[in-house]
Amino acid sequence: MSDALTALLEGSVRTATPLAFAALGEVVAERSGVINIGLEGAIIAGALGGLLAAGAGGVVAGFAGAIVAGVAVAAVFAAFTIALRVDQIITGTGITLLSLGLTGAIYRAAYGTGGAALGTPTIGPAPVPGLSALPWVGPALFAQPVTTYVVMILAPATWWWMYRTHDGLALRACGENPEAAEAAGIRASRLQAAAVLWGGALGGLAGGTLVLAQAGTFAEGMSAGRGFIAIAIVVLGRWHPIGVIVAGLLFGAANSVQFLFQAMGWQAPYQLFLATPYVLTLVALATVRSQGVAPAALGRPRRDTA
Amino acid sequence: MMGILACGGKPDAASPKHAGQFRVALLTPGPISDQAWNAGAYAGLMRIKDSLGAQVSHVQTKTPAEFEENFRQYGTQGYDLVFGHGFEFQDAAERVSAEFPRTVFVTTSGGRTGPNLAGMDFAFEEGSYLAGMAAASVSKAGRIGAIGGADLPPVKASFAAFEAGARAVNPGVVVIVSYLGSWDDVSAGKEQALAQIGRGVDVIFQNADAAGLGVIQGARERQVLAIGANANQNGVAPGTMLGSVVIDLPHALLTVAREVRDGKFVPRVISLGSRDEVVSWTGSPALSRPVPAAVALRIDSVRARMRAGAFRLSSASAPHK
Repeated sequence: MSDALTALLEGSVRTATPLAFAALGEVVAERSGVINIGLEGAIIAGALGGLLAAGAGGVVAGFAGAIVAGVAVAAVFAAFTIALRVDQIITGTGITLLSLGLTGAIYRAAYGTGGAALGTPTIGPAPVPGLSALPWVGPALFAQPVTTYVVMILAPATWWWMYRTHDGLALRACGENPEAAEAAGIRASRLQAAAVLWGGALGGLAGGTLVLAQAGTFAEGMSAGRGFIAIAIVVLGRWHPIGVIVAGLLFGAANSVQFLFQAMGWQAPYQLFLATPYVLTLVALATVRSQGVAPAALGRPRRDTA
Repeated sequence: MMGILACGGKPDAASPKHAGQFRVALLTPGPISDQAWNAGAYAGLMRIKDSLGAQVSHVQTKTPAEFEENFRQYGTQGYDLVFGHGFEFQDAAERVSAEFPRTVFVTTSGGRTGPNLAGMDFAFEEGSYLAGMAAASVSKAGRIGAIGGADLPPVKASFAAFEAGARAVNPGVVVIVSYLGSWDDVSAGKEQALAQIGRGVDVIFQNADAAGLGVIQGARERQVLAIGANANQNGVAPGTMLGSVVIDLPHALLTVAREVRDGKFVPRVISLGSRDEVVSWTGSPALSRPVPAAVALRIDSVRARMRAGAFRLSSASAPHK
């Protein structure tokens, strides 16, 4: 039984890793007052960017390519929503649809109809000496690909930056009232653009993780809604970096439990199992008090103060 | 309009939309780069183009609303033949076919017919049965798995036949069936495979299109065996693939297209299987754990009976109509 538990925990962390990347980026963007629904687009772009760059220059180049692709998608979003002040939801939706279509077209142009098969190099688990031998949680937390360790460091680092630095304070001020922040001498638009690009970089890394640490290949639409799940995770984590990590793990665990339930061979409609993570999300959203926690200016284009 | 065309020197201007050229379209439910179900149909479309000189068009669709809209588009444009690639296209094809009597609509995998509507019925169960025999014979644990994208009737029937074949070799074999709820989520495919492997499964039959690549990846990493579906996937991960249940989709699509072009098409359920060598079980040539000789002989004998039409699968695994 402990074997099953270990496998379950390992799977939870694996599933949570790309979600946590994307959600940690999105939480920074949202705390600056910008909701980036185009996150799904950054993830799928990161997946393809990672595949193409890894094919040319190996895994490290692959992750760099994933970041570049994610930032590029986020830059389009930033240009429309921050520079041109177009509605964030509409822009984000458009960017997601555009990215899903464009990545498919580029993938086919690059690899033909045969696809990339399973020839892409991937990073395997890199166990941390000592810690990975801990009972139960050892393999789950410390025998994972390097990307998981990056997330573990990134979450407290994001918290520290957001709550303990001047720039972090400025970011949160933007999210509450960008006009007031501007009046206080904060360059709100520039900060929001930086936050969105950072979110894109991490979204790209999420996609890169899918390809380079998990699947070892690309498939059109393989992001499979993870961008939207990450946005839900931000809400579930109450716009707090640590809360986001916990919510991400919860979602990963729900997914993993679902896989395990099916693998147990229980005779029950599999749709029930598949719905587990979503039911959990709804229950959590309904029961966790989130009023007054969301950034006050979230999703609102900045008004002219001049 | 007709006058203008006639003046332009086109003798065959009875139907200006056709203008003499045979036109064929294909709707797939997923990307044609999946090296499986969708790739096979696209290869068929390309063969129709090359062999029959047809003008071809392909579109990838996702939702039932898109199925209908695209069927209607091709009908409006006067295409001669439109394939909806999969069981899920049946409803849309049935509705739209009534509006465009000059266009023949064929759903690959489907049992409905009409004046210009036909379904194909691949005896995918036959190949799946043989795959089950092979899987049970190499499983050390006596536990084998099957992972599908969704529980479409053809997928369920295939898995039932896989289980029946496995039981014929090892009556005590445990077969675990899981569904992903997605045909694209490669990562989920891999996680589901790892979960099954964690429960002791050591041979996994995938039927999840692009997401199935994740199943194969998971099997490769944990050094268990995988079985491919719909196309010959043995080259995807040599050493990991026990074999593939192959549908010769290019051959099947070309056969129907040729009938339509020659005016010999009769609306019906077009049944294709081992007898026509459209469905086959193709074992991997090089394996560290090959199928034992005795079982290989039994597989050959069942295959021969299937080809002769003398082998009947039980009703549980019979093709769904």
